[in-house]
Amino acid sequence: MVVKNLPGILLALAACLIPLVYGGNGYIMGLMVSGLIVAGVALAWALLGNLGGMVSFGHAAFFGVGAYASALLSAKAGLPVPLSLLAGGAVAALSSLAMLPALRLSGPYFALAILAYAHIFKILATELSWLTGGSAGFARFPVLPTIAGIDFSSRIGSYWLLVVMVGLCLLAYRAVKASHVGTALRAMAESEDATRVVGVNATLLKAWMLLLSAFITGLFGAMNAHIINFLEPDYAFSGTWSVLPIIAAIFGGYRTILGPVAGAVAIYLFDQLVAKAILPVGHQIILGVLLAGMILIAPNGLFGLFGKKKTGAAHAAA
Amino acid sequence: MLRLEDVTVRFGGLVALKDVSFAMGAGEILGLVGPNGAGKTTLFNTISGLVRPRSGNILFEEREIGGMALHARARLGLGRTFQIPQPMHHLTVRENLTVAQVFGAGKSDPARIDEILQVMELAEHAERDAATELALQELKRLEIAKALATNPRLLLLDEVLAGLESQAKRRFIAKLRELHQRYGLTIVIVEHDIETISTLCSRAVVLNFGQVIADGAPDDVFRNPAVVESYTGTADA
Repeated sequence: MVVKNLPGILLALAACLIPLVYGGNGYIMGLMVSGLIVAGVALAWALLGNLGGMVSFGHAAFFGVGAYASALLSAKAGLPVPLSLLAGGAVAALSSLAMLPALRLSGPYFALAILAYAHIFKILATELSWLTGGSAGFARFPVLPTIAGIDFSSRIGSYWLLVVMVGLCLLAYRAVKASHVGTALRAMAESEDATRVVGVNATLLKAWMLLLSAFITGLFGAMNAHIINFLEPDYAFSGTWSVLPIIAAIFGGYRTILGPVAGAVAIYLFDQLVAKAILPVGHQIILGVLLAGMILIAPNGLFGLFGKKKTGAAHAAA
Repeated sequence: MLRLEDVTVRFGGLVALKDVSFAMGAGEILGLVGPNGAGKTTLFNTISGLVRPRSGNILFEEREIGGMALHARARLGLGRTFQIPQPMHHLTVRENLTVAQVFGAGKSDPARIDEILQVMELAEHAERDAATELALQELKRLEIAKALATNPRLLLLDEVLAGLESQAKRRFIAKLRELHQRYGLTIVIVEHDIETISTLCSRAVVLNFGQVIADGAPDDVFRNPAVVESYTGTADA
């Protein structure tokens, strides 16, 4: 049991040790905070891809909608920030309802539809300048609050908040995957008719996964907004929020639960600490080479290497 | 139990089923026969919801189901198998049945899953990967087991006996009879073997070019000149 959970235990241990070792280093803690934001989105993306069988190139839409919703609700409606964060996730989930017709599409068609969808929200955020500040940006909204003596707006406070939120999302993902719904979703990817003919409402289950994925992404978009305390459409809806989580999830192993989280932190730190030092301009090239190599050598990602070679029942039980 | 009224299905310019009508009562075992391409599987697909009819009515227990989604028909009590077995990938045999039971019958009853595994002689394969670790005959039994797990009242069996040698076929026919009794099923079976239909079914419906050309007791139907002609090209065969 301990061996099976070893990667999770090691990750939790590392998460606890990092503030002890680097707590005084604002730069490293800042990188960790950003890495955990990407981790949350990567987890949400992998949930949709792994359980829902849908490849999304548009998670920036949910990220940006969650960010703007939380910022606006806290600044203009006076909603307390903890509630506005949840509301950010909820509004992102609501915005995903517009994507429901696209659930009939599969493969590249779904990916293209959601890419176009993300662009619509970026245009809306730019054009509705009376509400969002448009391309000039939006800054006057509250930072993360201090609760029970913990200042969540500090780097350490933000770090712990994100560690807890990523942990909660991991538990939610694991619960869904272990449920009957998760079992049906696992089967749907390659045998949709076989699942539908025994009573599985495939479209409904996919819709639930899209909603959950959008909620988690919106939540992390909202937290990121209150951490950096500034929003503009080009940043909030940047394609980076769509692409980086995909790279992270694939690098870590998107079919595993821990892979996207570990992959996100590893990729982000590597990019900022190593790739940037080697190639200050165009350092993303190194990420591209790294990802291509990873796909060729270990297509199941970093965490796929830890798993036993799966055949037959072993695969079925995974 | 099941009534079809003037069901027509078109695929573009091709008329796959034309004004197909017949009714069957609860507890019947009906054989659906016809030459290759006659429309038997299309009819199964239409009844189960994979294909939408262009016109006509499909009534299951007096309820119109023609516009109903595939999953909703399964939940009403309409189970089916596929001619080419379609196990749910990445799941064990037991998980296949559990998904079918939870979503099709709306409950989780592991004891009944165990019973179905026993009845369908799949207990020893329960933890195997359904898509990669079963032989063809085991996959065919799994098809029926999955359908049974949804707690059906009407079971559509698409060539479940195909490929069996005669002794295995006799055993399988006995098994189908046992299922019919044990679970109080109404069964429609697509089968090419005339002897099997005569042995198992109380009635046969014959399709040719998407139309019903005969309907009645199997022995009478197979002497019908139109049926003989549809198979042999001549009424004298």
